[in-house]
Amino acid sequence: MMAERNILDSLGSGLLVLDAHDRVSFVNRTLAEMLHVSAEECVGHSAGEFAVVMARFALPAALPRFDWPDSFGSRDIEWRDGETLRFFREDSAPLAAGMAARGSAGQGKVFAYHDVSHEKAVDRMKSEFIAVASHELRTPMTSIKGSVDLILSGFAGETSPEMQELLEIAQKSCDRLVRLVNDILDLSKIEAGQLKLNLERLDVTEIAVRAICAVKPLADKTGVRLRVYRPLPLPIVEADPDRIEQAITNLVSNAVKFSPPNAEVVVELSSDNLWVQCAVCDQGVGIAEKDLHRIFGKFQQLSEGRRRGGTGLGLAITRGLIDEHRGSIWVESRVGEGSRFIFRLPIASPPSPSAPALAGQAVKP
Amino acid sequence: MKLTRVLVVEDDVDIQKVIRMSLKLRGVSEVVLVESCAECFDRLGGFAPEVILLDVMMPHVDGYETCRRLKQDPATRKIPVVFLTARVQKADRERGMKLGALGYLTKPFDPMTLHDQILKLLLEDAEKQNEKDGDADE
Repeated sequence: MMAERNILDSLGSGLLVLDAHDRVSFVNRTLAEMLHVSAEECVGHSAGEFAVVMARFALPAALPRFDWPDSFGSRDIEWRDGETLRFFREDSAPLAAGMAARGSAGQGKVFAYHDVSHEKAVDRMKSEFIAVASHELRTPMTSIKGSVDLILSGFAGETSPEMQELLEIAQKSCDRLVRLVNDILDLSKIEAGQLKLNLERLDVTEIAVRAICAVKPLADKTGVRLRVYRPLPLPIVEADPDRIEQAITNLVSNAVKFSPPNAEVVVELSSDNLWVQCAVCDQGVGIAEKDLHRIFGKFQQLSEGRRRGGTGLGLAITRGLIDEHRGSIWVESRVGEGSRFIFRLPIASPPSPSAPALAGQAVKP
Repeated sequence: MKLTRVLVVEDDVDIQKVIRMSLKLRGVSEVVLVESCAECFDRLGGFAPEVILLDVMMPHVDGYETCRRLKQDPATRKIPVVFLTARVQKADRERGMKLGALGYLTKPFDPMTLHDQILKLLLEDAEKQNEKDGDADE
């Protein structure tokens, strides 16, 4: 037992174990030092009491969630200790059955805290580089696009049909380059964890209607009809309206691009006790089973997608946006029968007059 | 309705030309081009534009600081400022708008609609001012 303790104390990562009654059964030395407490005095306190101590360091958005049984997984938290800001990755999991049996009846939970400050710094540098590169690329693109658009307008005199055709190619390619730079900027922010969501309590129906209006001009070109189907009112979600609109717009414009003329694209909205679900359904070409697993990857578009002017990043961005909202996204499709891109967002908890108070008394530092 | 006098603060000479042609195309009679914050203030001594079109990334004094100075100076604070910049991130836009700009347009821009976009911002602002004045009269 002593040897096990020594091993766990030697880890560079912090470790916390809660028993089946949500009481602290183990804290390793690294976590105790992070919290400026001794490991022994933490043992036996409730998760709520321990959360109060954690809350002195973890910034508000990262308050401990020891009492959320569904929250197992990984998340990054900001940790302020005096003037020092660090980043930790919190991995949580139910305690393996054999381990829990030793200390108490039933299943407990284990939380590990890894210092990821260095990775975060590298991500930030990468993101800053991309922001600067985006600016530097935009400047010459402004001159090219501006000049070509002005010539095409006839401002500089008449152009022959051949010149017109060549300039239209340049114009189309320049527009695509702009979309690509925008998408790379968005994706780099998502990957660096620097996308700041402006969360609001909202009804996804309104956002879906806005997205459909945005895609309508594209759909009109091929006579594709767009429709929102919502049989029952939706519960409220907490989400960034602009980013959810971006996600739905991406899915609907993809659906339009892959639909035959005069087909229909339907945005189906529904809900259950936990989730609001949005499914974008088309009657298009569909996706082969062998390609389904890579459809959300970067630059993984099928040759058809490139031909239709996509950047190859739209679905990767959409998945990133939904992940940032703690939602999930997937696709169901068959070749020749169309595709259904489906995402879910968690239903918001009812509004409370003030932030929920952390129960219990603090562990003394 | 159309614009007649515009001051453009932009350090890239090629983009200056595109802006000038795009505004001339829509009949703007006076498009004055300057390259820096200092030149902008110099030129404002003898020129009263309806709007200042302002780039952000310029050497020495950037567009944000230029806007701050314009809004601080009693002689220039009432001239509407519209940013036209390749800084496209949400935080950049918020920073520009907080400094008192009327609008924040991004590059690359559509030279065929630039004039109308600026005019729309000016008209919306005038409407807001009218509403405010109306409320004050009641």
